[in-house]
Formats: sequence, C-alpha cells, structure tokens
Amino acid sequence: MNTEICEKIKAMLVENLRIPEDELEYDSELFGDDIGLDSIDSIEIIAGIDNLFGVQMTGAARENFKSIETLAKFVEEHQGE
Amino acid sequence: MSDRRVVVTGLGLVCALGENTEQCWSAAVNGVTGIREVSSVNTEGCYANVGAEVLIPSEKLSGEDYDRSSLLCIKAAGEALEDAGYKITSENSDRIGVIMGNCVGGAVSIDKYYSEKKKGCENPHDIYRMTASALSNNVAFHYGMNGVTANIVNACAAGTISIAYAADLIRAGKADAFAAGGSDAFSSLAFAGFHALHALDADSCSPFNRSGGITLGEGAGVLIIESYESAKARGAEIYCEILGSGVSSDAHHITAPRPDGEGQMLAINRAVANSGLKPADLDYINAHGTGTAKNDEAEFLSLHTIFDENDHLSVSSTKSMTGHCLGAAGSIEAVLTVMAVKENIIPPTIGYAPENLETLKEKAGNIDFVPNTKREKTVNFAASNSFAFGGNNASVVFAKNPHEIPDRTNSEKIYVTGIGELIGKPNVEITSDDYKQHGIKMAFYRKLDRFSQLQLISGVRALADAGITVSDENARDIGIVIGTADGPLTEIVNFQKNVIENGTAGGSAFSFPNTVYNAAGGYLSIFAGIKGYNVTNANSIQAGLQSVCEAADVMRNGDAKVMIASGTDERTEITDYLYSLSKDKIELGEGSVALVLETESEADSRGAKKLAEVAGWACAHKAVEFGTLKGSESALEKAVNDAVSAAGITVSEVSAVCGFANGNPDVDTLEKDVLGNIFGNTPVYHIKDTIGEARAASGAAQAAQAARLLADSGNDYRYVLAASFGAGGAYSAVVFKRV
Repeated sequence: MNTEICEKIKAMLVENLRIPEDELEYDSELFGDDIGLDSIDSIEIIAGIDNLFGVQMTGAARENFKSIETLAKFVEEHQGE
Repeated sequence: MSDRRVVVTGLGLVCALGENTEQCWSAAVNGVTGIREVSSVNTEGCYANVGAEVLIPSEKLSGEDYDRSSLLCIKAAGEALEDAGYKITSENSDRIGVIMGNCVGGAVSIDKYYSEKKKGCENPHDIYRMTASALSNNVAFHYGMNGVTANIVNACAAGTISIAYAADLIRAGKADAFAAGGSDAFSSLAFAGFHALHALDADSCSPFNRSGGITLGEGAGVLIIESYESAKARGAEIYCEILGSGVSSDAHHITAPRPDGEGQMLAINRAVANSGLKPADLDYINAHGTGTAKNDEAEFLSLHTIFDENDHLSVSSTKSMTGHCLGAAGSIEAVLTVMAVKENIIPPTIGYAPENLETLKEKAGNIDFVPNTKREKTVNFAASNSFAFGGNNASVVFAKNPHEIPDRTNSEKIYVTGIGELIGKPNVEITSDDYKQHGIKMAFYRKLDRFSQLQLISGVRALADAGITVSDENARDIGIVIGTADGPLTEIVNFQKNVIENGTAGGSAFSFPNTVYNAAGGYLSIFAGIKGYNVTNANSIQAGLQSVCEAADVMRNGDAKVMIASGTDERTEITDYLYSLSKDKIELGEGSVALVLETESEADSRGAKKLAEVAGWACAHKAVEFGTLKGSESALEKAVNDAVSAAGITVSEVSAVCGFANGNPDVDTLEKDVLGNIFGNTPVYHIKDTIGEARAASGAAQAAQAARLLADSGNDYRYVLAASFGAGGAYSAVVFKRV
C-alpha cells in the first residue's frame, strides 16, 4: 500500500466530498454503510483522481472504488500510462 | 362561479426561438430549433457545446444595469402587459403584483464579479445583482407594479409554481392581477454544473427519444393572470382560464427523480382533481421532457399510469426546441400551452429520425407524442408539467372555456404548534451532535452546504418540538415554505470561483446540486419524508416572515394540513463585504428559524400544544430601487393594516409588535415612523438586538418571538403583530393571537 497516494486521496475526499476526516480510514467502505457515497460522488472521485494523478478512472470497474486502498492501488497500477 | 375564475389576458415570451410570443410560437409549431453553438460561455474542454441562447445583447433587452435574468424578464413582462392592454395607474398599481420563477439568480453577474475580481477590477454594484431576490422587484419597479411580489426559486419547477401561486392568490382575493412567470439567463454556473453531472447531451437534446441529456437554454415567459372580474371590467381579451394546480415533493433524491414517478403523479393528479377534471378530459400536456434518461423514463411511467385510459391525449416536449430554460422553463412552456389552447395547434417534440419513430410507437402506447410535426386538434384542457432538482414537482391546468373547479377552501383556524431554530451572531455553531440528536447520519449531512445544514436542523427541530412524526399516512398533507434573502450564496460563489479558476469543464458535481436555492427544502423533505407542497421564495429579508403568509395561504387553499414555514440565511463572505461598505455598521447574524403551522382539526386530533393562532397575514410591496427602502413606507402601512383587518381586529387591539429594526438608521427610522403612526405607544420588541440581522432567519425569528410572547403566561398580551421589510420595498405582516 502506497501511503503517500492514500493520504492524497483521503485529503481529496475530505475536501471535495465533505467527509469528516476522523471517520475516514484507508479501508472504510466508501459506497457502503460506512461513508454512503453515491453516483454523484463517484463523478467527483474520478475528477479528483484525474486532477491529482492524471489517471483516468472513467469506466473503471466498480471494485476499484471500494475504498481509499483500492483507489490507491488503481492509481499505482495506471500512473504514467 | 365568476368570482373564482382566473384568466390569462396577456403573454410575453423571449427565448432562443424569438424575441416575442408571435415569433416563438411560429418557430415552435413549425418545429424550428433554437439550439445552436454556445456563444456566451467558454465551453473549452467540455464534451458539449450547444445551447439555446437568446441572441439579443443585455443592453438591448432593457436599459437598466441589472442582471441579465432581470432584463430578459422585463422584456417579456413588457410584451405581456401591452398584450393584455393593462394600463398601470396610481389607482390600480397595488392590485397587480409580480411573481417570478428563477433558478440560478444573478449567476451571470456572479461570474462577472469574480472574473473581474481576479483581475482586480471588480464592481461592488454587481453584488446587488447576485441574488434572485432582485428579480421580481426589478420587474415591479420598471413597470410601477405595486402588488405582492415573490421569487419562486424552485429550480426547474419555479416557472410553473409561480403561475400556480399567482392564480391561488387571486382566487383568495389577495390581488386582482399578477405578472407571473419566470426568467433565467444562460450561465457558466448551470453549464458547468450540468456538464459535471454528465447531464448535458453532446448534441441537441432529444426528449422521449434518445434521452441522452439536456440542452440548456435561456429566456423569460410572462403571463398576465387576473380575476375574471378584473379582466371583464377592463374589457380585456381572454386567452384562456387557469384551473387547478398541484405541487409535491419526491422525498427521494437531490437531483434524480423518483423512478416510480410517485411525486410526479401526485402533482399531476392534484392538478387534474383541483381542476374538477378527470385524466380522460385532458387534450394536451406540455411535458417536463428534459431529455435525460432518468426524467424521461419516470415521466413516461407517470403519464402512462395516469392517462392510459385517455384516447385523445397529445404530449410534447418543447424543450427539444427551446432548450431547458431552468427557472424560466415552466413559464415559457405555459405561454406555449396557452397558445396551444387558443390556436388548437400542438407544437411538436422534434428530433426523431425515421428509425426512432418505430421505437417511439412501442413506448408511446395510447399517447401521441407529436413527433417532429405539429398536431392540429381542439384543445379544451391542457396541462404543463415541471419537475425539479430537490424533488419538486408541479403541474398546472389551462382551459379554453370557463369550468367549475372545486372550492377546497379550508377556513379552519391555523396554529403555531412547534418552533425549531438555530440562529445567532456573528455565526452559529453546528456540531455533529446537532445531527446525531435527530438521527441524521454522516452519509446524509456531509452532502449539505451550510445553507442546507441550517435549514435541515431548524426544520427537524420544529417537527420534533411539535411532536410530529411523518408517516405514509400524513406525508402528502405536510408541506414546506422557505424564505431566504440570498440562498446558498457561499456554495454558489465557491462553485463559480472554481469554474473561473479551472474552466467550465472543471465544475464540481458534488457542489452543483447545492447551488440551487431549493436544495435546502429538498434535503429537508428527503430526510423528513415530506411529500406535500414545497416552495422556496427568495424575497429579501422579509421572505422569512412571508413564508408564514405563504404557508398559511397554502393551508387556506386546502393544500396542506401541516406546513413548515421557515426563514434561512447564512453569513457569507460577500454579504459581509457588502454590509461593510455601508457607513452604518449593522451587526449581521445567520441561521434558520422554522415554525410548524397546523390546522385546528389536525392539531386537536393529536392533542398538540398550541403556542398561538395565526390570525391574520398580509404582504405588500411598493417597488423602489432594489437595495433601498425610501419611498416604500405606504407598503408597510398596507401590510400591517391588511394583516390586522384579516385578523378581524382593529390596530388598538394589538398588544405588542415584533419589529424589524436592525441598527441601520434608514430601516430604524422607517419602522419608527410607520409603526409609531399606526400603533402609538404599543410596545415594540427588537429581536435583532440579540440575534443580529440574520436576514430571512430574523424575519421568521420575529414570528417565533410573537408566538412565544403569546404562549407566555407572564404577560396579558392578546394579539401580537410581527412585521418585516425587504430591500426594494417588500413587506410582510402577521397577527398572532393568544390561544
């Protein structure tokens, strides 16, 4: 797990999606009961990841959006493509 | 029947189809599109670049230095007044009011101000042009109309609700006539927002067909609506009758419609029933028909469910030509619907290729969707639908001939049975405990901007204070009216600054839904499960007290048994700056105050505590330049006298007054002079001394203060009056009575 990427994604989620920082862990289930994100939030995540890392997540499989960890993994695998 | 007849006597229209009703109508019936490449917004980096703009520069619309939305509206209102032959004189000016719908307020001016600020050449005057509160006042001031005003800011349903509300007020005898409709200008705010939501079609929108998204438009539609008696006395030519209307909430999602169409069907069914009609009577419906997949699917379902037994119904979406004009949409479509009734011609839904027609056949069933070419047929009864962000739905019915409509007037007493508030100066603090107390989860409240946060908390506190539990049984009989001066201005400004910084393609999908003024009311209905009436009125400071008047009107009209009436405004950087420019340093506050109003039978049936009776209420407006008050004293006098007389008492019976003085010498002197003249030495309370000028929240706080004084056994007050002022000369007054 790349904590630097995770930290950047976490900061983006806190800033852009008004998620309280103390309730957000790297493995919190973003779209489940923990945080409760929805389709509009996923648009914002895609835009945020693009801004931060230049990585396109449009059309990426649902499981990549599960948590900060899975997002970070996707970014790591696709950075510089 | 004649005393309940409300008729349309004048039309005004400006949109991408033309600069007057005749041009627009001719284009619409001939299937000519107004959708072209966008010129007023930089669409660089966007996947869409078409829109339906009005090709008239702002300075050619009207001479004033107002936001483009006001100028479009002034142009359409001028045409409508002339068409109606309505001469405004000193004798009749206070009997014709202005009620306009609007979505993005002064978004064009907000864009201009912050774009110039970036370069260090901003004009502070533009700050006055930012709020939707200025719209009706500007139109009223331009033409010297001095009746009641309101700005219905329920996003894409605003232009339909404004017409419905105007007709209701005339039927209630509160005005002879209104210029009613809506206006919105093409803005980077809306374009960037819908782009971020991926809700724009890359090509021209294609409602009930490809359904690939909306195409934005701009324009204004204005109808002169008047009592039959007024029209007859003037010898006016009558276009058609306005029958009943229906307004509802989805209580589902902030942007998406309910897939099962429940809220849409409630609005349509109410409009049909309130018109004394059956679904089989309608000849034409101008659909909401935005062209998004979610809207079109839900609307198909709603229309089929209600109208499948109707073998002669035509439905079209004129948005396929005008684009989606947001707060103006309902009013533009109302003008086209009135023309359809008058001319017996139905404008088409355009955009069907031959292969699409086959698919349409399967989806259309019994309903004629008027593809590509107009339909000529007798149109006796027609409806116009509008559905909005926040889950607001509205439908209004027009008729060629007089038609008896059911009198649903509810003359029961109305009581204040709960108060919820969150108000103070300079700021109020909101903690996670405020949410937890009412079971509001983080997944819900994190979505809210500050304006919505304030409104949600005051609303749920008021319901809890009244002891009301919303259930499937009562959800449809509970409604909401929210008054605000400036709406969610912080969220709007932040969204706009981001667009200026990062381009139109950089808009935030997360924050855009909160930039509409009615988002707060939407969130409240979603959280609480409220499915009835839901309107937000941006009408300066007094909108907080006007919300009590409008809520009471809705209950009198038989449209709700319980209403939340609320005033809400937040502290914002920009309003702080505006007030700091004034030499009189008044103290600003912020917050939200909500009152639960309830009919006597409803309150008694559940043994509710009654704080006070809402005994009489009235609004008045003497239009002066927005941002000023001088010269509008007569309207305060009228609002107070009308409210006192509606309560069935004389001014000498009023025991105390909850006043609106805020430390600004002009405001304080006006209050002292007018109220002193009317009430002599009657005690006047000034709640703004402790809560600051929290604008619309203060207006509602005065109502709460009046109710509490009457619930207090420590005094012997019998009647307490609350009065509030708005920039530009709008006033509301409410008389409360001890229970």
